[in-house]
Amino acid sequence: MLTTVILRRLLLSVPTILGVATLAFLLGHMSPGDPAIAAMGLDLDGESMIDPDELARVREELGLNKPLIVQYLQWLGRALQGNFGTSYVSSTAVSEMVFEALPTTMLLLILTMSTAIVSGMALGIVSAVFRGRSMDYVARMIAIIGVSTPTFWFALVLMLTFSFAIPIFPMNGPVSEHGLIAMALPTLAIALHPAALIARMTRSSMLEVLSQDMIRTATAKGLGKWRVFMVHGLRNAINPVVTVIGFQFANLMGGAVAVEFIFSLPGLGSLLIEGIYEKDILLIQGAVLVIGIAFALSNLIVDLLYVVIDPRIRV
Amino acid sequence: MTMTPSQTAEQATATKNDWTLLKESFKHFLSSKLNRFSFGLTMCLLLLIVIAPFVATYPYDEINPALGLSPPSWEHPMGTDQAGRDVFSRVIYGARTSLSIGLVTVLFGLLTGVTIGAVSGYLGGWVDEIIMRIVEIFMSIPGIIMALALVSVLGPSLPSIVLALSIRRITQFARVARGSVLSVKSQDYVTACHAIGMSNLRIIFVHILPNCIGPIIVLASVLLGNVILTESTLSFLGMGIQEPTPSWGTMIAKGNEYLTFAPWISVFPGLFLFLTMIAFNLLGDGLRDHLDPRGGSAV
Repeated sequence: MLTTVILRRLLLSVPTILGVATLAFLLGHMSPGDPAIAAMGLDLDGESMIDPDELARVREELGLNKPLIVQYLQWLGRALQGNFGTSYVSSTAVSEMVFEALPTTMLLLILTMSTAIVSGMALGIVSAVFRGRSMDYVARMIAIIGVSTPTFWFALVLMLTFSFAIPIFPMNGPVSEHGLIAMALPTLAIALHPAALIARMTRSSMLEVLSQDMIRTATAKGLGKWRVFMVHGLRNAINPVVTVIGFQFANLMGGAVAVEFIFSLPGLGSLLIEGIYEKDILLIQGAVLVIGIAFALSNLIVDLLYVVIDPRIRV
Repeated sequence: MTMTPSQTAEQATATKNDWTLLKESFKHFLSSKLNRFSFGLTMCLLLLIVIAPFVATYPYDEINPALGLSPPSWEHPMGTDQAGRDVFSRVIYGARTSLSIGLVTVLFGLLTGVTIGAVSGYLGGWVDEIIMRIVEIFMSIPGIIMALALVSVLGPSLPSIVLALSIRRITQFARVARGSVLSVKSQDYVTACHAIGMSNLRIIFVHILPNCIGPIIVLASVLLGNVILTESTLSFLGMGIQEPTPSWGTMIAKGNEYLTFAPWISVFPGLFLFLTMIAFNLLGDGLRDHLDPRGGSAV
């Protein structure tokens, strides 16, 4: 039963991943400039000095004279095997660059996600349990401030405060240089926004559940207050919270781009920005593709989580 | 979905005209203190688009190297930047840039997205299936990454920034519009429209869409803040508005270089950005409670 659900859901994510791949390919195709000239290591300005025979040879070599659809299929075939081409700018395999950057970003996302889930849910629960009291107002204020704070600006403020004014944390640099503490400020910077969203959703979902009859029943049969809240309340309020958490991947990845850049963390975000500054279209394609696939997979995991936490759902 | 206020409104048109109802609804919306605050703040910010030249005390591009990096003072309440430009004036003009880009983007996204979503939901079948697949693909790439990639391909000009920011909004509006259309399309009054032989387009735009307007307005107010945030992130990363046009994101990025000894250059535009986000988020919350009490997860 469960295997069928997983298999069906896996199949459903295939068209999405193919679509993302198509988008990444078209992105490369749309970019101005001739990839053959770029591959020869020349700028567009030098176009007049290019030997036409040499250009034709490079075109042939890169398969650029074939019809678009053939180029697409060839590119797709290679991309699915993890071969995103060789960067014209750094002459390194794009896949190598992407997979080197991946662990940093994954570590950052895992840390951020767990921080956001724990603090967001705690804030939301406190807010719901103490509804209408001052604790609730403070928690809600934190949540609205969190939703409204621009991630990249918050990162700068954190850096200014906690690595310059009060030098507790390193200003920037990778984990390999400072250890895990290098991740502290970036994690905090990215986690604020999703934590606030999770808090808001936890609060409203909890409030809805707490008004139901079964909560009164649970209280009436003499269960402790916190047991009622956590076991009967939270357990039933968790579904919309999981949905919001599932949506956070895009949010986190978006935040990671700016924050990795600010704190000089060598992750996917920094790589993407590097590709954009250097106009390295293959690198951009590779990064977009990997991020898109990761997003599709995270959606998949969320859907499967639903099945696990809520036995009523059997899609 | 249960009855939305606008639906009840339609049934009441026999006794009251739409204008009075709208006025009453608006009055009710403003009866909350928080809504008054967010509405007022939003209006002030929007007003800045028009009156920026009268509020700013200096032209945004007036360079005065002798005063470079001077801290906040009476003449320059937010200090000056590396070129001696008045940060306060640039922040005010920056509001104009950010908010007008936000408005244009959201309007463009709304018109395109709602049309696509409404047609998709109304027609159903394979058209709907294909459109929704495409929407899902676009939604699989985080907004800022999509925008970054597009701007890097198209070049950082104003139209390409608006286009890059709109694509994601189009898909979000399309989703919400489709959902609302699906929820009203099987109602009796739509069947009645069919029965008297109205064209599909007329049914969608004249009869169905006005009844789905609640969730769309809520989404628009939330996305306005969202777009402004994405634009400033783009500008911060150097892929948005280019100097000397003032934009909060660009100012924060420039100030980043002087962060440790002239923090005012990036702190003040950031505060304004934060204030704008607060205004739009609170307004969105208020509008959601007011217009769409059941729908919680628009974004």
